[in-house]
Amino acid sequence: MQPLTLSKVAMRCGILALILFVVVVIALKFGAVPVSLYGLAKDLIGLLIGRSSEISSEYGMIVREIRLPRIAMGIFVGASLSVAGTSFQALLRNPLADPYVLGVSYGASVGSILALIIEPHIALRPELAAVFTPLGGFLGAILTITVVFLLGRYRGEIENRTLLLSGVIAGMFLSAIIALLITMLPSSSTRGMTVWLMGDLSTPMPPILGWVLRTGFFAGFALIYLTASDLNLLLAGEKEAMHLGVDIRKVRIVVYLAASALTGLAVSVSGSIGYVGLLVPHVMRLIFGTDYRMLLPAAAFGGAIAVVIADTAARTIAVPSELPVGAVTAIVGAPLFIYLLRRRLA
Amino acid sequence: MWDEREELKQERREFGSGLGRAALAFLVFSLAASFEVRAQSQASTTPAHREVTDETGRVVRLPAQIMRIVSLAPSLTETVYALGLQDKLVGDTEYCDYPPDATKKHKVGGAINPNMEEIALLKPDVVLVVKSLNRLETVRALEQLGIPVYSADPHDVTAVLASMKRLSEVLGAEDAGAALDAKLRERLAAIHAKLNGVAPIPVLFVVWTEPLMSIGRKTFIADVLEHARATSVVDSRQDWPQFSLEEAVRLQPEYLVFASSHSETVRNDVEALALKPGWSALRAIKNRKITIVGDAINRPGPRIVDAVEELSWQLHPEAFAEKD
Repeated sequence: MQPLTLSKVAMRCGILALILFVVVVIALKFGAVPVSLYGLAKDLIGLLIGRSSEISSEYGMIVREIRLPRIAMGIFVGASLSVAGTSFQALLRNPLADPYVLGVSYGASVGSILALIIEPHIALRPELAAVFTPLGGFLGAILTITVVFLLGRYRGEIENRTLLLSGVIAGMFLSAIIALLITMLPSSSTRGMTVWLMGDLSTPMPPILGWVLRTGFFAGFALIYLTASDLNLLLAGEKEAMHLGVDIRKVRIVVYLAASALTGLAVSVSGSIGYVGLLVPHVMRLIFGTDYRMLLPAAAFGGAIAVVIADTAARTIAVPSELPVGAVTAIVGAPLFIYLLRRRLA
Repeated sequence: MWDEREELKQERREFGSGLGRAALAFLVFSLAASFEVRAQSQASTTPAHREVTDETGRVVRLPAQIMRIVSLAPSLTETVYALGLQDKLVGDTEYCDYPPDATKKHKVGGAINPNMEEIALLKPDVVLVVKSLNRLETVRALEQLGIPVYSADPHDVTAVLASMKRLSEVLGAEDAGAALDAKLRERLAAIHAKLNGVAPIPVLFVVWTEPLMSIGRKTFIADVLEHARATSVVDSRQDWPQFSLEEAVRLQPEYLVFASSHSETVRNDVEALALKPGWSALRAIKNRKITIVGDAINRPGPRIVDAVEELSWQLHPEAFAEKD
């Protein structure tokens, strides 16, 4: 085994960042307004190095205020889901784990639906009203995380199997509540909920949410990354890791909370985009191996790239209509996952 | 085994020593990934602006002269045409199919998921939405882009008429609005006069057959039925309740009412239903007491009076036969 050096990680991340940049430029090109690739790349580089803050006027408004924020949202949602998926797979030592396996997304959905129901009945300041639904979603996620955490403990520690089962059961319970709420409520409160439940990036968000998502992502990622070496040792087995001085209890709690929070954030703003958090970690593992110091950043970039591509497809295939991005990721993701699985077996 | 662990440990230390560089790499990564999007609101302050309050109570700032309209609801598209403002309609949805000319307008997607870029590109002076159809998220997203949104929110037939009149004033077509309003009110009054004293017929409005879905009492279709002297046998607070077939059989509505622009399809469906247990126990199905109204009944727009007339003629032919 060749040791992984920092420069190697940095170089690979650089390559992934470059791919992401190219994907973003291509994603920016597609849409209702024609945009020239060359001009766009030039403007973007100018914007990034801070030399100019202008994007050519003709398409400036649309690119700056609709497409770019949406792509930025896609980047961080994708990265969050993928990092969360990688973490859950490591934490639960289960290749089928994804960000939604512990019920967080269902909790966020219930929170969002409840927020949609409550909202018309209380007078809110416009600034609060604009973020009320995602706020409800995030509170729902936090509540679910806490409950699953409390249920998943065994003798004061997180125990994988108990945690997994508690999460799955909580998810089933919450999804039944979602079905109940949607059938029982007046249609005006839950319209568009189906779009949202499939995962959707088409609704522009207030800038503050973009900021929260970015900050939350970097904080969550940093926390999980600090445990990367411990996660590597955990691969060898729990006892072995313990002998090597890994505080397993702490690692589990940190990874569980940070990955759940990342999931909650992503789902609150975009609904449950499927498959990204399951598939991208596996693809990245095939490419970069199982060292979490490399795998975690690779998953972040991979998730971002996957969601930006899927969302570009979602908004261009059926122009002028939009498809839910979750439908695109699931349609492409499911066959791809089967393919990878068969190849591994062969 | 032990050596391997030592190696892992060793590797871990090496990795840790480069933490400073890691932080730097992280910083570069974050910079590259987080586009700071500075939204500059398009503050083109033309002097002639006015403020109107829409039907949901929002205050909307509009240009004095509205030249470019985007409609996000089929009913509003119909209203815009009825007011003679079709030349100012620069965009509508894929479901806007009446009048036929509306299908030729630039499409901005569906009512639930319109394409923001398409709308922004049309540079509308106002975007028209209906609260019962469009999403609040759409309204907010447009506001964020600095595009004024006017929302209509009628809940019954008379409110539809009032809503269209109010919209005509907002769009600067007061005269056309007043004329339309007077004409529709006159037709409605004529129907009411004919049906005066006629007993209401119990009906079941069928939204969907499998499972059976009907309408709640607060819907706008329930009010159309009332105007046509019919009462829905379903008394639900939900808008589109799933309804028990057993309950329908117990209540034995006199007519089943379907809304469709393809009456042949509905007739075929009814033949199929007549063969099914449960449905065959409905006297209205057995005797083929079926009423099919155009899908205008689903649209709170100018053709709502057409729907009232159509229904009245079919449900109470005797009331109209007498004097004709």
